[in-house]
Amino acid sequence: MASLRTTSRLFAASRPLFRPATFARSYATVEAGSTDAANAGPEAKLKTFKVYRWNPDTPSEKPTMQSYQLDLNKTGPMMLDALIRIKNEQDPTLTFRRSCREGICGSCAMNIDGVNTLACLCRIPTDTASESRIYPLPHTYVVKDLVPDLTLFYKQYKSIKPYLQRDTPSPDGLENRQSPEDRKKLDGLYECILCACCSTSCPSYWWNSEEYLGPAILLQSYRWLADSRDERTAERKAALDNSMSVYRCHTILNCTRTCPKGLNPGRAIAETKKMLASM
Amino acid sequence: MASFARPSLLRQTLATTRSPILRQNVGVSQAVAFHASARKQILPPLPQTLNGTMNEPVPVPKPHPSEGSYHWTFERAVCVGLIPLSIAPFAAGSLNPVMDAVLCSLLVAHSHVGFQAAIIDYFRPQRVPKFHALCVWLLRGFTLTTAVGLYEFETNDVGITEALRRIWNA
Repeated sequence: MASLRTTSRLFAASRPLFRPATFARSYATVEAGSTDAANAGPEAKLKTFKVYRWNPDTPSEKPTMQSYQLDLNKTGPMMLDALIRIKNEQDPTLTFRRSCREGICGSCAMNIDGVNTLACLCRIPTDTASESRIYPLPHTYVVKDLVPDLTLFYKQYKSIKPYLQRDTPSPDGLENRQSPEDRKKLDGLYECILCACCSTSCPSYWWNSEEYLGPAILLQSYRWLADSRDERTAERKAALDNSMSVYRCHTILNCTRTCPKGLNPGRAIAETKKMLASM
Repeated sequence: MASFARPSLLRQTLATTRSPILRQNVGVSQAVAFHASARKQILPPLPQTLNGTMNEPVPVPKPHPSEGSYHWTFERAVCVGLIPLSIAPFAAGSLNPVMDAVLCSLLVAHSHVGFQAAIIDYFRPQRVPKFHALCVWLLRGFTLTTAVGLYEFETNDVGITEALRRIWNA
């Protein structure tokens, strides 16, 4: 293994010598006149997309909204299709996260036309008269363009210990079994993909994200509180029993309204409060 | 393998394409541009700070039920209790000093808890420690003044229920 690494490193180091600068990989470029707006026919459905742009390489330049025009006849139905087309055909510097394109990874969470949602689950409004505005998730520290920094979000997720905690071994030594009724309690909780749409739509989380956990993390927390197999319920409840972690929730319910997966974090938080009150 | 070489190549091309103004004195020009914009925001967010490394969880606060679950239960009990107490005197048409006293104390508690939540939400001690303390003491002062005023009104005057009835029928 070590020898392999050395040779590969040598190879990598010597590589540029054998590769002329003309063949070196550079940024993708866009041919002039290849945009939809330039060669739009009479039946073209040109729609304007205004996208938030900010480049960390030039931090002194203020964030701007950049306009792109796409022919909807040549674009897929979803916002993510539009973004990918813009990146492929018009502006390769546009930066956003995406992975699964079917609403299961949670990477492409962004604020589209004023609503936090997944770009891959959000249809492009077919009304070409109005433009669509795309921003990163609100009240986040932006890394670049549409990419927010979710480090704190993941650190908070880690703090609720999102895994099964048991002291007693399972009766048969194989599986921790659960009745169908107990399993049903987890429906509507386990589907959460942690896209952070709900947390970044919550005003309480905007003001107090350092201490308030936010709807997404509290939904996950309740997923483990409600699990019949978990044996550290008292510990989990004690970790939430302070003025900031849960009780900054004022039942605004932006979380439930915005969830792209149709879940109800507001209800999970209410159940958590009820559990804590009955301690 | 080639990824070792690629970033440096990219950086070279980037450096050449960048304008000469940007290349010299990048730090100064950035700072000037940042401070040139007007500060019109109320409590603008501070630069991002993260405690510990990326892989460490955020610290779990100590359990404090009197600020957490007990506080919430008390707040809800007061809310629920206020509904019958504010309807009963008018529906029953009777004036009872004990009922009046309970209604007044619940009203004071309810408003105190509500304003307290607003202060915690908007003026965090980490962000504005002095203003937070000022707000907390102002609230305590107002609550005390309200309580004393209501007590005086109940003992030396007609009381809150009767006063409302008279205003309503005036």
